[in-house]
Amino acid sequence: MIFTIKKYALLYAAMFKASFIADLEYRANFFSRIMTDVFWYVAQVLTFEVLYQHTEKIGDWNKYEMRVFLGLLFVIDAFYMIIIHENLENISEKVRKGDLDLLLAKPVNSQFMLTLQKANTAIFGNLLLGSGWLFYSLMHLPDFNYLRLLWLIILIPCSLCVVYSMRFMFSATAVIFTRSENLQFLWWQVYRLGMSPDSMYNPYIKYAILTVIPVGVIVSIPARALLNPPNLNYLLWPLILAPILIYGTHRFWNFALKFYSSASS
Amino acid sequence: MKKSFAVFLKRNLAFANLAIVTNLEYRLNYFIDALVQPILTTGIEILLWIAVFKGAHSTTIAGFSENSYLSYALWSAFFSRIVTSWMYEFRMIEEVSSGTINSLIVRPMTFYEYYLSQLMGYKFVTTIISLTIPVIASFFFDLPTILSRLPLATLLAFYYLILVHTISFIISSMAFHFTKISSMTVAKNLFMWIMTGELFPLDILPPYWKTIIGGLPFASGVFVPVAYITGRVGIRTVYSGFISVTIGIIVLNIIGAYMWKKGIDSYVGTGA
Repeated sequence: MIFTIKKYALLYAAMFKASFIADLEYRANFFSRIMTDVFWYVAQVLTFEVLYQHTEKIGDWNKYEMRVFLGLLFVIDAFYMIIIHENLENISEKVRKGDLDLLLAKPVNSQFMLTLQKANTAIFGNLLLGSGWLFYSLMHLPDFNYLRLLWLIILIPCSLCVVYSMRFMFSATAVIFTRSENLQFLWWQVYRLGMSPDSMYNPYIKYAILTVIPVGVIVSIPARALLNPPNLNYLLWPLILAPILIYGTHRFWNFALKFYSSASS
Repeated sequence: MKKSFAVFLKRNLAFANLAIVTNLEYRLNYFIDALVQPILTTGIEILLWIAVFKGAHSTTIAGFSENSYLSYALWSAFFSRIVTSWMYEFRMIEEVSSGTINSLIVRPMTFYEYYLSQLMGYKFVTTIISLTIPVIASFFFDLPTILSRLPLATLLAFYYLILVHTISFIISSMAFHFTKISSMTVAKNLFMWIMTGELFPLDILPPYWKTIIGGLPFASGVFVPVAYITGRVGIRTVYSGFISVTIGIIVLNIIGAYMWKKGIDSYVGTGA
């Protein structure tokens, strides 16, 4: 077991290093990625800043709490973009071009390879930008207890597991349907449900996005951990959910592979 | 002259038809693009506006009722699907950067018209299918909608598509010189996401920003047509929209033609 973990850790370290070297080849890409995501950050911030010109609260969140929520969204999204996004984005193409055959033939777990083969290190700038916004927002909160940031050590990895699992299931449909680009765009719409605080929704939808389609777990729960006194029932849920979903992706991947007919053969 | 125009028209109708047939081939894909995505967007936007009004403890915001905002959210999601170009822009960039453009530039047509006609054909079908949802929903939920204004609003959105395509043309011309240009598409679409009024009606912006953003042609993509249908603006704003889009098309086409020429001059076909 330990040997296997060590093998995969070393493999990931090697792939990360290779990705970083490849990214350094396109140095301008570091700036273009930041520029691209700046528009996304601006869109998110602008929407709520404009809305707060006309209301004091959205759900039970005021303007300053919403800024913290957005800061966390940017940070979690940046981690996701660095570690996972590019790999899952390319699954459909790998299926169509037959590149998946090469991964399936390797003596390592195909889901591991498909998920972590390429890290997008050009996003590190965005991570800094998102973290900057988060700290700026926290500074504007009266009496914020900075020790609460320790919750993020546990909750951010859980959020990443949740977002990965859901995105992976959308991406893996490419193996079943061959062409499913718009299903990938559909993921974006589902993800958007989690890009607003859970309390904004009515109780049924709130329950659904915390359980059935758990996009509400991704940012809302870590944000509450920072903003409110700890509610253990609420905070334990991501810890339970994350391993369940990861196992679910493993089962779904095996199921999807039954539909795979090699494109290169 | 007359004959050459007939040939031009016939050729472009064939391209549009090609786009319709190609996209309908993968029906699940198409169904999600034309219906499922905008329905989900509408749902999220409507929930957001209900929460905003609940927090505001007021029956109006910036002079408009909750129903007016719900109607805006409903129509804007569908109009934004019509006026956004992801797929064809990615294809155009791919043609240039991979070298498969070789097979297009030797044909008796232009790269610009080839993809413009395809985009228009695709969006034409998308419009017919997509717009049935807000029309039915407006009746069902009794939302403020002036359906007699729909044809002109749709016409403006289609006219705006020429501007969108011209921007795609400029970005694909940049692929002659730069690699990984597709991130420009993402940046551009995010920029337009803010500027078109898809996120929120532009008339709730502070006056200074409202004047600046409202004067740009991008507002004619979503805000002007949707605000016209939902009764937030009158016909004069639509006319202004047509004028600003026309200016935008002229300016961007000049830039596009220049960049295309520079790109083609430096391009070396690799025999791909």
